[in-house]
Amino acid sequence: MGYRDVAKIGIGGPVGSGKTALVRRLVPTLVDEGYEVGVIANDIMTQEDADVFRDSFADLLPEDLVEGVETGACPHTGIREDPSMNLAAIDEFTERHPNLDVVIVESGGDNLAATFNPELADYFLFVISVAEGEDIPRKRGPGVTQADLLVVNKTDLAPHVDADLDVIERDAAEVRGDDPFVFTNCKDGSGVDEVIDHVDREVLFA
Amino acid sequence: MTTDSGSFLTALRLADSFLPVGGYTASYGLEQYINEDRIEDGDDLRDLLAAYLRRVVGPCETVAVANAHAARTEGDLERLLAVDERLHAVTMPREFRESSTKAGAKLCELLVAGDDVRTPDSGAGVADAIEQNSTPGHYPVVFGVVAADRGLSRLEACLAHAYSFVTGLLGAAQRLGRFGHTEIQSVLESVQPVVTEACERYVDADVTTMSSFAPLTEIMGMRHERAGRRLFMS
Ligand SMILES: Nc1nc2c(ncn2[C@@H]2O[C@H](COP(=O)(O)OP(=O)(O)O)[C@@H](O)[C@H]2O)c(=O)[nH]1
Ligand SMILES: [Mg+2]
Repeated sequence: MGYRDVAKIGIGGPVGSGKTALVRRLVPTLVDEGYEVGVIANDIMTQEDADVFRDSFADLLPEDLVEGVETGACPHTGIREDPSMNLAAIDEFTERHPNLDVVIVESGGDNLAATFNPELADYFLFVISVAEGEDIPRKRGPGVTQADLLVVNKTDLAPHVDADLDVIERDAAEVRGDDPFVFTNCKDGSGVDEVIDHVDREVLFA
Repeated sequence: MTTDSGSFLTALRLADSFLPVGGYTASYGLEQYINEDRIEDGDDLRDLLAAYLRRVVGPCETVAVANAHAARTEGDLERLLAVDERLHAVTMPREFRESSTKAGAKLCELLVAGDDVRTPDSGAGVADAIEQNSTPGHYPVVFGVVAADRGLSRLEACLAHAYSFVTGLLGAAQRLGRFGHTEIQSVLESVQPVVTEACERYVDADVTTMSSFAPLTEIMGMRHERAGRRLFMS
């Protein structure tokens, strides 16, 4: 057993876009569906983030399936050029839990160019928020264009930041071509089911 | 020294931060020195690096690289594992050991454990031992193995290893503190003779002499375990 034997979901996107919020929504559902799940956090307060996950998933996941992995101030390197330390953490998960089904890797917040190495993530979600500006999809960052699923989060904030969801939808459709994108509000959970449908279909039943 | 082009390129490859073994996640205590405001300028950095080279990289890691290289060249697995065990015993901070063994495992996966070298007297022995956790698999040890397999001389292996340690630490310094790129290059230039000196001094050392003396660095390495801000694994 090693990292090659489990499904791996990468979650990338800028700081504060809602990656952690999405992980918190995804994990209970996946556990409920009967999967054994591991979670890795790459953010700056790495161990603290991992502790927060451990607390909030206390009833769902064993402590040793939550890990913080430091990426030496290079979050993009950790998920793209050299994912070896994340892979080492996944190897440790599989050693301790040979029935592990899926690992979620949350990248540290990064720029719009940060994509996941395909050997680290079988499926790559890129989370942006409407509050970062309605022009984000239009900039065609590799994260936005190459992710398997683009998640546009914080739809509830659109009226407060003068972001037009129709503009975002039109631009996202244009830059994504046939690839999917989903609008979410991780605060009340709307749109999250749709994300889970994609994950189920593309990763877990694949 | 060899002048073989293939070996030369291998030396560059092994010393390059492009090598995907997680080197950029290790600061070997530097993050803690900077957390505690102990490193303020290029001179501090130069002194720290020189001390590292003279007290840890030379007498400890270089001895490990050199002896691993020699053991590998002789095809002596037992000797190789003894080098690994000794390095494990003399590396005090837990995070230093973890950074080193994780990188060692990744280097092994990448350049030793490939099917093409899985013949009885080649990489398989040490690769299997690392995979089965029967030996720690420290980075300098695996580095020595790879270097020997790919035709680097013992001294070249030590130099490539020590040089990549220096650039790794300088890269970490630049990400953690505020150092200009020309200042960093000037530090690199001035510690280069210390790299050579440390490697030449320890390249023939017996494995039983392997030891380090860097108490402050070790304390920094241990305090880092509980640091609030941690960008680095060590
Ligand atoms: N209003 C609103 N806030 C959200 C939403 N999703 C996340 N947040 C908040 O945005 C902040 C950053 O979210 P977080 O998940 O930590 O972002 P990360 O840096 O991408 O992991 C937190 O305060 C969240 O509570 C959302 O859909 N709507
Ligand atoms: Mg987060």
